[in-house]
Amino acid sequence: MKRIVILFSLLAMLGSTALAQTKIDFFEAFSTERLQWIKDRAAEWNKQNPNYEIVVTPKASYRDVLNAAVLGARQGNPPALVQLFEVGSQQAKDSGLFIPAGDIPGSFDTSDYIKPVLDYYTIGGTVNSIPFNSSNAVMFVNNAMMQKAGLDPNNPPKTYSDVLNDCAALRAAGDTQDSCITFALHSWFYEQWMAEQNAPLVNNDNGRSGRATQVNLTSDASLNIVNWIKELNDKGYYTYTGKLEDWNGSEAIFTQGQAMFHIDSTSEVNAITKAGKDGGWGATTAELPIADNAPREGVVIGGASLWIAKGVPQDVQQAARDFALYMTNTQNMISWHKLTGYFPVRISSVNQLDQEGWFRDNPNYAVAFKQLLNTKSSSATAGALMGPFPQVRTIIEEGIQKVLNGASVDSAMGQAEKLANQALQQYNSNFQ
Amino acid sequence: MNEGTPVFKSWTTAWLLMLPTVVILVIFLYYPAVQSFVLSLYRSNLILGTRRFIGLDNFRQLFSGLLAPMYRQVVLQSVVFSASVVILGLIVSLAFAMLANQKVTGSRFYRLLLIWPFALSPAIAGTIFSFLFNPQVGEVNQVLSRLFGIAPRWLDNPLLAFGLVVGAAIWKQLGYNVVFYLAALQNIPGELSEAAAIDGANAWQRFRAVTVPLLSPMTFFLVFTNLAYSFFEVFGLIDILTKGGPVGPSALHLDNAGLTTTMIYRLYQDGFGGTGSLGFAGAQGVILLLLVGVITVLQFRYGGRNVHYGGA
Repeated sequence: MKRIVILFSLLAMLGSTALAQTKIDFFEAFSTERLQWIKDRAAEWNKQNPNYEIVVTPKASYRDVLNAAVLGARQGNPPALVQLFEVGSQQAKDSGLFIPAGDIPGSFDTSDYIKPVLDYYTIGGTVNSIPFNSSNAVMFVNNAMMQKAGLDPNNPPKTYSDVLNDCAALRAAGDTQDSCITFALHSWFYEQWMAEQNAPLVNNDNGRSGRATQVNLTSDASLNIVNWIKELNDKGYYTYTGKLEDWNGSEAIFTQGQAMFHIDSTSEVNAITKAGKDGGWGATTAELPIADNAPREGVVIGGASLWIAKGVPQDVQQAARDFALYMTNTQNMISWHKLTGYFPVRISSVNQLDQEGWFRDNPNYAVAFKQLLNTKSSSATAGALMGPFPQVRTIIEEGIQKVLNGASVDSAMGQAEKLANQALQQYNSNFQ
Repeated sequence: MNEGTPVFKSWTTAWLLMLPTVVILVIFLYYPAVQSFVLSLYRSNLILGTRRFIGLDNFRQLFSGLLAPMYRQVVLQSVVFSASVVILGLIVSLAFAMLANQKVTGSRFYRLLLIWPFALSPAIAGTIFSFLFNPQVGEVNQVLSRLFGIAPRWLDNPLLAFGLVVGAAIWKQLGYNVVFYLAALQNIPGELSEAAAIDGANAWQRFRAVTVPLLSPMTFFLVFTNLAYSFFEVFGLIDILTKGGPVGPSALHLDNAGLTTTMIYRLYQDGFGGTGSLGFAGAQGVILLLLVGVITVLQFRYGGRNVHYGGA
């Protein structure tokens, strides 16, 4: 018996040397310098782990990553590691194609993650995926324009009314050409404004205590948001390019000095701060302005996390997890944060950045970060979970766009609510 | 045509020669078409891997209920979009082909420039247009505001956005059409025009009565290719340029969908836009296929009559 065991282990060793370098496919959605950063981390890890090779495969968008990973898995060739956007979390879980990171033998210590980040990726008490790139929404201020309008850039608007007042001041100061505020027509901002009012987007505790069956698009909190956007638009304060989810378009309007305020993702802090410096007008960040009298409950994180495939051998799962944890370790999260503006998702990274004096020297990051750390833990700020989230986002955006084109808030959001509820019902009927 | 005498003596030879084409058609065209018809009868989700027979429910959803107004608008827009792209596109292409057909210095260079847009993918064409026509920072509006003090809202004014997508789609296909029209123009014997001129026909009359009829076989062919292009190939361009938006004015009941959402773009959104509703997208594919099929039959029936193939 013993001899057989020895023989087998010898054979196994032989096999593993012959099979040296198991390939681990990693699908992700970044390009240019962010992709290069990921590739550099993969190269480092590959060097330390000669038996495995992380193969980074970039896709054009988060949606493409999801489609490609699912198709690969259905055809029996799943990528071991997949970067999925936050709104794909419910779908990823429902697909049954992924294994919760904590279920893989070995260690996955979740105690070092920032609370709002961990909250988001915890579904039914299980942390399903490994947090990676996380951001939330902040407001950027054009300092020169505020001063010209007779306003104090150190006292940016904090509520919807504040924004409207400051916009009136801009017009009163004679600037009729520029816009007061610009942000992409993106449901993500709407979701942030719901969370700040401690209002869940969907029922069943934002889809976290049970499958979501109803959206809350006609709640008072929702109407507060849309009415404000309507007023901004009707008074000629708001501008965007006209295209839904046009991040770059709104950012370009702001960085070319054509709007006083701009709401964007913290992942753009680096680029926008630089544009303000180069342009000589100065861009600073401020907390997200929120509905009057809202409790400032906090923000919902956005971004993506790393999922590990169920359909690959256990050693590959372990290697994929180890690489994901390496890529997101304390030091690497610091360099990622400095490169992009995405949050360092680890408490240890934050502490170290603090000791370095990073937040003191770069107040634009500090403001954005404070907003995240001050977020209260609730189902509203944990973020909504629902299968057809990408579709519901489009429904919300089209609803708001109708209002911008002249429809009444009640009818546009009423219709959006019906459409979104139907999308939920359709999705849920896949499980009956 | 010598209809009485077949070129090949036996059917076997004919079929053998057709075999490669038939195999390719079956694998890449007929089989997927049948598959998407089958798929349209299921509630099937790409991401969940679920698949359940629901009969005609996907179709019912498109034609009655909450989504029906959306789909009606999308079909209407598709037809208007395709008609605009085909008709305007062919007129513009012919005009450019006539110009490029003139014997002037550097005509080869002009021809090359005209053909160039065809070498671009729809996505690249969309990107170029979105840079040019960004209402706030695009080059077009910078020039317009400097010269005339206006800055049109290209992407959120519904009519302009629709026009912009039509324009971009035409521009993208221009090179293809110009190449074919140029070839056809160069095949028109000069004597015909000359004879008409001697008979006292002016330039416009010569164009109407000689050139246009002689181009009709080419026009007939181009109508098909452009129709297929405008119905099936434009989603990349739309995705980058407008993402299917903006929603139209509520007053005209055109606010149930984005004005530049065509049938193929809506299909793409439902199937691959993040929710993976394959059955629902499949049903839309079937309708799209039927619609284009009907248009093609009509085109052969009625359009074919005006085609002159010349010769005996």
